[in-house]
This record gives sequence, structure tokens and C-alpha cells, in this order.
Amino acid sequence: MKIVTRFPWLLVYAIAYLIFLYAPVLLLPLFSFNDGTIVAFPMKGFTLKWYAGLSGQETLLQAMVNSLIVGLVTATVATSLGLFAARAYVRYQFKGREVSEGLVMLPLVIPGIIVASSMLVLFLSMGLKPSLTTVILGHVFLALPFAVSIMKSAFDDFDQSLEEAAFDLGESVIGTFRRVTLPIVAPGIIASLLVTFTVSFDEFVLAFFLSGNQPTLPVYIWSQIRFPAKLPNTLALGSLLLLASVVLLLTAEYFRRRSTKSA
Amino acid sequence: MNDQNIIEISKVEKRFGTFTAVSDFSLDLKEGEFFSLLGPSGCGKTTALRMIAGFQDHDAGTICIGGQEMADIPANKRPTNMVFQSYAIFPHLNVGDNVAFGLRKLGLSRAEIKTRVADALDMVELGGLQSRKADELSGGQRQRVALARALVMRPKVLLLDEPLSALDKNLRETMQLEMRRLQQRLGITFVMVTHDQYEAMTMSDRIGVMFAGKLEQVDKPEVIYARPCNRQVASFIGGMNFLNARMTGDGGGRMDVDVQGFGALTIDVNPNVRIHGTDLLVGIRPEQLEIGADRPEGYDGYLQGTVSDVAFYGESVHYYVQAPGTDDPIAVAVPNYFHTVDHKRGDTVWLGVQNASIIDLGARESQK
Repeated sequence: MKIVTRFPWLLVYAIAYLIFLYAPVLLLPLFSFNDGTIVAFPMKGFTLKWYAGLSGQETLLQAMVNSLIVGLVTATVATSLGLFAARAYVRYQFKGREVSEGLVMLPLVIPGIIVASSMLVLFLSMGLKPSLTTVILGHVFLALPFAVSIMKSAFDDFDQSLEEAAFDLGESVIGTFRRVTLPIVAPGIIASLLVTFTVSFDEFVLAFFLSGNQPTLPVYIWSQIRFPAKLPNTLALGSLLLLASVVLLLTAEYFRRRSTKSA
Repeated sequence: MNDQNIIEISKVEKRFGTFTAVSDFSLDLKEGEFFSLLGPSGCGKTTALRMIAGFQDHDAGTICIGGQEMADIPANKRPTNMVFQSYAIFPHLNVGDNVAFGLRKLGLSRAEIKTRVADALDMVELGGLQSRKADELSGGQRQRVALARALVMRPKVLLLDEPLSALDKNLRETMQLEMRRLQQRLGITFVMVTHDQYEAMTMSDRIGVMFAGKLEQVDKPEVIYARPCNRQVASFIGGMNFLNARMTGDGGGRMDVDVQGFGALTIDVNPNVRIHGTDLLVGIRPEQLEIGADRPEGYDGYLQGTVSDVAFYGESVHYYVQAPGTDDPIAVAVPNYFHTVDHKRGDTVWLGVQNASIIDLGARESQK
């Protein structure tokens, strides 16, 4: 607090920054309770009907199911790959380790639109029609850097002699992984599952290019925004997604911290 | 201890790329022996231990444990268990489950496991702490759990990698005695890696001193202290004054030498020395020198010099004496019997030494 009293403009800057960052996001849930179809002040009155209306929409529910499938498969695949990759990166010195690590992290900096269009071209040339499978492949690529960095932080504090001790006590390689490695990095695994699921669940660009006629939730929302009458429904849906994302990420952060503490 | 060899290591070599970590390593260990591998960090002692444990394969030579060649036997199938430097206590298991970890693979009944865990914990004086969590243990307790977890497997050989280096001085000294007693009671062969000469000397039946991947000398602690094979070993264990000498005659296990500063003396030939020559290096332990303001009686060699430094250690006082004809000041350690410091800087003093206190360290040019 001392620094704030010494430089009062810092406080102003911080508040302005937070408003700029979060006000638009907060407008979403606010207008989702508005009893009117036009998103503008003044608001008309409080209603829950937009939320109630969500349950009756067949295509919306189908998009939700699609998103859940894509998210769950992506999270499982990306976390499994990330687990093994991270263990290798932290444990072993091998030729090309840094290059390979850099390549894994690359999706974080490549523009999504480039990845999406080139993947579409690639999949089509392989004879793979746009479908949930292609979305999953794209999302695994996108989620892998998150999984690898979370699992790396779990392995960073992992004393290598723990695995050696288990092996020394007569346990097999697989038994050592099951009885020692997995339980110790379990909080990291949970954090990675949650984060990669969220990454996939919220992703739009890749899903838009690769989903074909099986839209995921974000793609569905985008398609609905063009119809003004549907807008309040979309706002309600968006608010729910926002809430779910925040809850998921907070849980993930909780487990990530636990994993660094326990090791 | 009996005369059966439990470990026979012959001409083992280990290379990491172009770096040779261990070379020409041969060692036989007796059943029930407490053996220490002593050396500075990076000398290859931990690599040697890890090759015995099976965590590292060797590039040449053979390692036999209990008469069986170990080359194709992985660590989890070897009759050895290890106490790690970090103790490697499984953080997600309590004390009892840590100790029972290896037993669960042996197909024992639950009751049998329970009894063996309880016995092992009693042995390391942690009886009744089965349900204590791993993160609630003190450093000394972690060390004991690691010890119990390895011993409960009833290994033929227990390997210890710097087991006491993480403990503070008082606890370390207590644990040294305790581990020694435990080892003697169980009669299991212990192989310990340490860089602490006192730890090695107080605990071991024999010590192997390693430098740069080579086992320089293997002997009882008192022999290594009294008859080190070269300058390196002599300077790593205890304090030592090194002086140049010339051999003037030899025969019958003794030789006549002219020692820098002290003059003509007749000393025993050190059987551990590999190369002799006319130009010799000899050593004198600081506590084996007599110091006095007057010339002390009854010594074989004398030297007069000036005190250049005085260091008070509590149990002893060290004087550093600069004498004509010697390069470095000669260190003299005097037990603090009467709570007095008898000489001060600049005093002229006499040093006396007996023939038996002069250690032959071999040809000077062979020294590293």
C-alpha cells in the first residue's frame, strides 16, 4: 500500500486497466438477466427466461455435447502426452531436447488462423473430412504446450531418487511409475486436465475451420450472434461458460499449487 | 565379520562420453564389513556405489555379489538396498507405508509385513511412528526411516550415499555411532560413500580412498592414517607436514634419509608406497612433533625456527613454525592439557621428532 500512497496515479492506472480488461466481460452476465432483446442501457427488468430458454434448444445441446466430447478427449490425450514429454524433458539430457521443447511450445505463438487454415488443407489432402476428430487433433496440438509446462513444473520439484528408491526396493519400472511417480504428480495431472479442457472448450478459430457440420459450442454461439432475437439466449449461455471457465481454472490453480508444495 | 567375500569387483571401468569416471576399480569386500569409499567430490565414488546398486552399468570389468555376476541384473533384482543422500522418503506415504513399500512385492501376509515394519522401526528407534506423515519428520527421523526402509528388505549389502551429510554436526556424530552399532548387530555388509574423513575413520572397518576415478589405497583407518601410500591420500586424511628428503642408504626394511630441516634420520620403508627413489617425500603428522622453548630431550631429529602463526582450536593449539631450510611453515598440534598457550608469534622454538613419526611417501616426482 505504501507504494500506492507515494504514487497516487498508479492506483488510477490500475483501476482504469482493470475496467478496460473486465468491464466488457462483466456486461455479458449483466445483460443476460435483462428483460429485453436489445443490448443497451437502460435495462428493462430482471428475468431468468433466457436461461430457462436454453434447455429447449436441440442444436445448442448438441453443440454442448460436441464441445464436451472434444474437451474431454483433448484433455486426456494432451495431458498423457504432456506427462511423458515433461518427464523426459526434466529427467534426461538428450540431443535435440531444447529444439523439441521449443517445437512443443510453438503453438502458443503461431497465429491461430494460420494453424487452422493449414490444418484444414492438410486434413483434406489426407482425405480426413472436417469432423470432431479433426477438431480434437487440432486442439491437442494447441493444448499440448499448456500440458507440458504444467507437467514440467510438477516434475521440476520431483526428486529423481524417489523413483530410484522404489526401483531399488524391488518394484518394477511400471510399478514404480504407478506407485510413486503418478501419485506424486497427480495434482499436476489434474491441473493439466482442467486447463487443457478449458483451452479446448473455449477455442473458436480451429473449431470453426475443422468442425464441419458438427459445431462446438463457441462455433454455435458465433452462428447465433448474427440473429438479434437469439442474442439474449447467447448471452445467457456465454455467462454460464464464463462461470464454468473461471471455476475450472481456479480449481486447476489450486491443484497446481498443491503439486509444487507436496514434492 | 567372516572371511567370505560378499562383493568381488574386478577391473571395473565407467565412462561418460570422453570422461572416465571410474577406472581400474578392483575391490573385495568381506561379509559383515563396514566399508567406506572416501574421496573429494567428483572423484567417482558415487558412480562406483551406483554401479554396485545397479543404477549405472559398467563399461568393463565384473561386479559379483554373493558369487553372482551382476552385469545383466537390474537394480530391483539385486540383493542390495540403498540409503539415498536425499533419503528419498515417499512424500505421499506415511512412515509405515514407506517402510513396507518393498515388502509388498514379496508376497508376504499382512501380519508378517506389519511385524517386520514394526521391528524395523524399533531397530532405528522410531517404534510406534507408523502413521506419522512424511512431511512431519525431522531430518534425523527421515534418515532413520530411509535406513529402516532399506534394512527391512534384509539385503546382503546395504549401500549408503553420503547418508549423514544433511544432518547437523551433533546429530551426525550420534548417528555415526548408532549406525555402526546397528551394522555390527545385524552383521550386514555396509558400503558407504562419504567425503568426510572423520566419518569414514570412526565408522569403517576399512576405507578406500579415491581420487580421479582411481582407488588409491584400501586399508584399515589406522593404517591409512599411519602409512598413506602417497601425498594425495596423506593430505586428504588428517593434517600433514610434507618435507623433501634424500635417501642415503637402505636395507632391512629401513632407510637412511636426509630430511629437509631435520637432517639425517633412519626411517621405516612404507610398504604401501609404489615408487621409491633417491629424491623422497616424507610426511610428519602435526600432533607427533614436540615443541619447546628449549631443545627437548630424547628425540631423533631437531629443528630450530620461529613461530609464524598460532591457532587456538580449543582441544588443541596449532603452532606454525618457519625454519631455515624448509619451504612451508611446519604445523605442530599440542593438546590443550593445561589451558595455556605457551608460545607466541615471533618466539624462537625447538621442534623434536622421532624416527617412527616420519612417514615415507615415496619418490617425489611420482606425486601429484
